[in-house]
Amino acid sequence: MLIQIAHFLAILSTGLFLTTFVFSFLFTKRDKNITRLISRIYSHAFLMLTSSFFIYIWLALNDNFSVLYIAQHSNSQLPSFYKITSIWSAHEGSMYLWIVFLCLWGFLYSSYSPNDNILKARTIGVISLIAVGFLSFLLLTSNPFETILPIAPMDGADINPVLQDPALAIHPPMLYLGYVGFVIAFANAISFLINGDKSIRWEESVRIWSISAWVFLTVGIALGSWWAYYELGWGGYWFWDPVENVALMPWLAATAFIHSLSVSSKSQLLRIWTILLSIIVFSLSLFGAFIVRSGIIDSVHSFANDPERGLYLLSFTGILVFSSLILFSYRLPLLASKKLITSFSKESFISINNIIFGTLIFSTMLGILYPLIYEYLYLQKISVGAPYYNAIFVPATILACIFLFFSIDSKWQRTYRIINSYTSMLFSGIFSLAITISVMLYFVISDLWILVSLFTGLLIIIRYLFVIFEFLINKKYSNPYSIAAHIGLGLLIISISLNSQFSSERAINIKINGDDIYKDYRIKFDNLELIKMSNHDSVMASFIIDSPSGKTFVLNPEKRKYFTRGQITTETAIHATPLKDIYVTLGDQLDDGSWIVNIQFNYFIRWIWISALLMAISGSFLAFSLRGTSR
Amino acid sequence: MKAIRKKRLTTVLFLLLTSGLGTILIIKALDSNLDFFFTPSEIFAEDLPENKRIKVGGMVLEDSVVRDGTNIVFQITDYEESIEVEFNGIVPDLFKEGSGVVVLGYLFEGSIKAEKVLAKHDENYMPPSLDIEK
Repeated sequence: MLIQIAHFLAILSTGLFLTTFVFSFLFTKRDKNITRLISRIYSHAFLMLTSSFFIYIWLALNDNFSVLYIAQHSNSQLPSFYKITSIWSAHEGSMYLWIVFLCLWGFLYSSYSPNDNILKARTIGVISLIAVGFLSFLLLTSNPFETILPIAPMDGADINPVLQDPALAIHPPMLYLGYVGFVIAFANAISFLINGDKSIRWEESVRIWSISAWVFLTVGIALGSWWAYYELGWGGYWFWDPVENVALMPWLAATAFIHSLSVSSKSQLLRIWTILLSIIVFSLSLFGAFIVRSGIIDSVHSFANDPERGLYLLSFTGILVFSSLILFSYRLPLLASKKLITSFSKESFISINNIIFGTLIFSTMLGILYPLIYEYLYLQKISVGAPYYNAIFVPATILACIFLFFSIDSKWQRTYRIINSYTSMLFSGIFSLAITISVMLYFVISDLWILVSLFTGLLIIIRYLFVIFEFLINKKYSNPYSIAAHIGLGLLIISISLNSQFSSERAINIKINGDDIYKDYRIKFDNLELIKMSNHDSVMASFIIDSPSGKTFVLNPEKRKYFTRGQITTETAIHATPLKDIYVTLGDQLDDGSWIVNIQFNYFIRWIWISALLMAISGSFLAFSLRGTSR
Repeated sequence: MKAIRKKRLTTVLFLLLTSGLGTILIIKALDSNLDFFFTPSEIFAEDLPENKRIKVGGMVLEDSVVRDGTNIVFQITDYEESIEVEFNGIVPDLFKEGSGVVVLGYLFEGSIKAEKVLAKHDENYMPPSLDIEK
C-alpha cells in the first residue's frame, strides 16, 4: 500500500509541477499575489515529491522487497545506513534523488526569494518544467516504484560491495546537489531573457545559489576522487575516465560562471557571457546525466542502461538547450553593452581566463566524444587517455595562473598599472624561482612541465601571501574568500606536480614471515588471518613496516569475498603522513604460497584533496557572507 | 558606418582564426595521444608499429597463465588468434582464465608488454567486439 501511495504522490507532484509551469506562463501580469500563488503551488508539489521520497526511504529501511528496485539493490543483511544509500546506487533511485534535489533548490529559492521579484514566477515555472520533464522520464522509462507481484522475494540481491563505503554513500548526493543547483541561475537567466527588460539585475540574486552549488560540486568531485583512490586500488586520484570528465566540465564551466557573475553583478559588463555560461553550466550538468545513463560510453562508473532512456534524455536535454540558445540569440542585440571592457582591468583578466576555461571544456568534450565519432567514421575503436588531457590541461592551467597572477591587484573597470604592485610581484617571482631551482637541484628533476607547474603554483601562493601581509600591515582591503580559494588553486597545482614527480610503486613477491626492502622501508609479512564478517569473508594480511626514520607501523590490506554476489574486492591499507601515503594492496597468492603485494609511495596526495576542500570552504564562507542578497 | 563594419569584420576574422588555430592544435594533441583498440586477430591482420600504445581486448585463454614472482604471462584470445601478454604487478580481482580482459601496452617482438591490465567491474562484461561471436 505504501508503495502505491509513494508512486501516486510522485505522479500527483508531476501534475502540480505542470500546473505551476502553466500558471507561471499564463499569468503574464507580474503581480505579487500571483507570484505568491505560484510559489505556493510549487511548494505543495515539492512537499508531495519529498513525502514520496521519504516513504521510499522507509520502504528501503524496512526491506520491502516487493519493490523491484529495492529487491535488486538492497539486502536484509546490510547495515541501515547502506540500506538508505542503496537507493542511489543505481539508475532509477539515483535519478529519483537527482529530481528531489532539483526541486529542493527550487523550493529553497521560492521560499527565500521575495515575491516582488519580477523574475521569480517565471523562474519557478522554468524549474517546474524541468522537473516535469525529468519526472516523466523517471515514471515512464525507469520507474523506481515497480513491484514484484504477487510474491516478493525473500531477500534482496545486495548492493555492489565497492559501493558499500561511507565516502561513496555521500559522494552522489553532494555531486547531484552541485549539478542541479545551477538550475536556479539557469532558470533566472531564461526568465530574464523572456522578460527582456535589461534593467533587471538578476545576476546579484543568483550569486549565493550558484556559489553554494559550486561548493557542493567541488566537494562531490573531491569525494569521488578520494573514494577511487582508496577503493579501486590503483593509487591514483584522477583517471580521466569519461564519467569523471562529465563532472569536471560543469565544474570548469561553473567556475568560469561564478567569476563572470561577480563581474556582471558589480558592473553591467560581461552580461552576455554570464547568461551564456549559465546556460552552458546547466546544459553540461544535464549532459552528464545523459552520458552516465545512456550507455554510449564505456566506464567503470556508468550504470547499466538501455537506449530508450538515452534517447529520452538526449531529446529532452536537446530541446531545452536549443530553445534556451535560440532565446539567447534572439535577445542578444538587447544585451549588447555599449561600454567596452577597460584593458588591464579585473574584468579583462576574468574574460581572458573565461576563454581558457572554455578551451578546457571544449577539449574535454572532444575527448569524450571523439572515440564515438571516430568509431562511427572509421569503424575502429579508440580511447583517449591521460596523455591527451595532460597535453591540454597543463599548459592551459599554467597560462590561466599567469593571468591570475597579474590580475591580483587589478581594479574593477580601471586600468591597472603593474608598477603599483611591482615589488611584491618581483619578490614573488624571485622567491618562487629560488624554491623551484633548489627543489630541481636537490631532487634532480628534469621534467620541464613539472618545474614550470611547481613555479606557477608557488608564484600564486607567495603572491597571495604578500596580499595578506599588506592587509595585516597596511589594512589594505582584499577579498578574503578569493585569497583562500586561489591559494587552494596554487596548492592544488603544487601537489599535483609533486605527486606525479615523486610517486613510485613496485610489486613485490613475499612469503609469510619473509621480508623485503623498498626505498629504505623494510616490509615484513607478519601474519595472514581469515576473518568472517556479517556479509563477507576476508583474508587480512599484516605487514610490519619499518621506516628509515625508525618508526614502525602495521598495515592490513585485505581481500574480501562478498556472499550474495560472490564478488571479490581488494581493500587497500594506507599509512598517511603529511608528506606521503604508503599504500599497500594485496594481490594473488602464487602456487608456492607466496603473495604478490603492491607497494606505492604516493607523495602529496592528501594535499590534493585539502586544496579542493580549501576552495570549497572559501566558497561556503563567501556564500554565507552573501545571505540576504537573494532578491 | 563603414569603419564600424570594417572593425566588426576584423574582429570576426580574428575570432575565427584564433578559434580555428586552437581547434587544430587540440585535434593534433588528440590524434597523437589516441589509444587504438584491437582484438588479437586484428593485430595479426594489420602491421602495427612497436612504439604505439594500444589496447587489446579479449578473453584470457584457459591454461595459459604462467606466473613467476611478480611477473605474469598469459595469452589473450578472441577464439581465432591469440597473442602473448607480459605484465609485472597485480592483476585485477576479476582477472581469471576464460574471462574478459583489456590490456594497455606496447607491441614488442610478437608479444604485448602491458602497462595496465583491466577487467571490468561487472561479471557479465564482454569486450564489445566479442559480443557478436558468442
